[in-house]
Amino acid sequence: MGVKKGCYAIVIAVSMVWLLGGCSGGYKSTPRNEMFAYQNRPTYGSLYALAVAHAERLNASLAEDTLHPGLYAEYGIALAMMGHKGVACRMLNAEVAAFPESRGMVRRIKERLMPDMLADTLAGVRDSANLLQLAEWAYDSVRALQPLPYIPSVIDSTDTAWIAIQTPVDSVTGPVRLTANQKRELLEQQQQADKLRQQFVRDSIAAAKQAVQDSIAAAKQAKIDAREAAKKQRKIAQKEKEKARADARKERQKQAKKRSQKKNK
Amino acid sequence: MAIMGIKKSICVVMLLVCAVAAVGCQSTKKQAHYSDIYKEQPSTIYVAPIVDHSLRRAVRSTEDSAYNASLNTAAQQLFLTATDPLVNNGYYVPGPLASAQLAATEARTGRQLRNENLSDYAHDLGIDAILFITLNRWGDAGDGWTVEVEYVLRSTTSGNELMHAVVEATKRYTLDFKKRPVANPLDQAFADSNRCDLATAQRCRLVEVLNRYVLKDLPSGRHARQQRTERYIASHPEFFTLRIQPDESVEVVKNELELFD
Repeated sequence: MGVKKGCYAIVIAVSMVWLLGGCSGGYKSTPRNEMFAYQNRPTYGSLYALAVAHAERLNASLAEDTLHPGLYAEYGIALAMMGHKGVACRMLNAEVAAFPESRGMVRRIKERLMPDMLADTLAGVRDSANLLQLAEWAYDSVRALQPLPYIPSVIDSTDTAWIAIQTPVDSVTGPVRLTANQKRELLEQQQQADKLRQQFVRDSIAAAKQAVQDSIAAAKQAKIDAREAAKKQRKIAQKEKEKARADARKERQKQAKKRSQKKNK
Repeated sequence: MAIMGIKKSICVVMLLVCAVAAVGCQSTKKQAHYSDIYKEQPSTIYVAPIVDHSLRRAVRSTEDSAYNASLNTAAQQLFLTATDPLVNNGYYVPGPLASAQLAATEARTGRQLRNENLSDYAHDLGIDAILFITLNRWGDAGDGWTVEVEYVLRSTTSGNELMHAVVEATKRYTLDFKKRPVANPLDQAFADSNRCDLATAQRCRLVEVLNRYVLKDLPSGRHARQQRTERYIASHPEFFTLRIQPDESVEVVKNELELFD
């Protein structure tokens, strides 16, 4: 009986710990949480996280065969704000395809964010079903990518984001059959793009590190300069004080002399 | 025993009658309350930027600036959480980023927009109704946060007010021995997941629940059913070719959209 009770107690304790652990939550990357973060601190990093959250949500909803209204558009706008205009345009077109009532709004958004792509409408979704174009997009987007901020988590999550951004595009455009030459060219371009991307990530990490080191060095130098300036200031003040004291002493001596002369007279 | 059985059955019948009466009353009330929405049947609703009339403190200390930041965050949350209940009711609602882009192209302020002609929204953008949310004031009763919010849904075609609600909502909290608010587990989870302080989390959750409560009861959108079908078709870009053989066996060939075209 005692053993049984002990087992029950252990099982209950473990399940309680597991439940409490589950309840405590922690940070969850959902579009709403990321939007909340982006609104409170609109940086490139938070926009990036928002785009990734939208991509994940889009993947999940496509897998479930349910589309949330506005999801393609939100993802497209986030990408356009990050500079990926080609794929952003495709996402906005996909929104119109899924929800025709969004046509006017999407047109207004395109006018604002990508006026040069207004002509790329719904027909473009099918025409652009070409992996070569996708690879070009990958290549261009690496070049167009703005310098990442110094948040290490963002730099670490680049690969995940890359996959997350590419997958919905694949699901929109559908599979494509390529010739052997096209495949080879595509492979080469992808390899080139991969190399560039890796180089870019390496460079950005190095630049971020360098920036941090520079800022630390600058802060140290500023401290030293401030200390020296304060020392100089103190010395000058001391000299002035001594001078003032000497002057006062001389004045007193003069007055004493005058008084003694008067007395003598 | 037989008497007991009869009593039980009478009770069950009475309960059923009460339930049917209650359901009937609710639907008539809803129909009367949202008669304009039933008449106009909007399908696209745009949530206009929040008009915030609540007072901010003059910044003299870090506490004041934290208080102001907390109110700003809660106002943003009020805007962010207004879309979900509408989407769940079958309306097409542009998301927060899209709404921000649309708002950036609008020269009129929220207050001007509320009283002016909105027909350009109907013609140019295909929006049937605009939801104006005005945050009137925030209060702290000592044992809870209070917020007063006004919701106005205006049709862009007729200009009529389809819904008008002024709500004062209070979220009570308990104080600990140091007279600080005790964290409710849900508020704490919100604060953890959004990396904000407890007071901000409590205010944000208050406005979120308020939005859900006020907007969940709207009638379903005109295209709610059709939207679901379209969404299904859009998420299944496949076409089938059926070949019926002489022995009446069916051969199905799946075609991708591009190949079909």
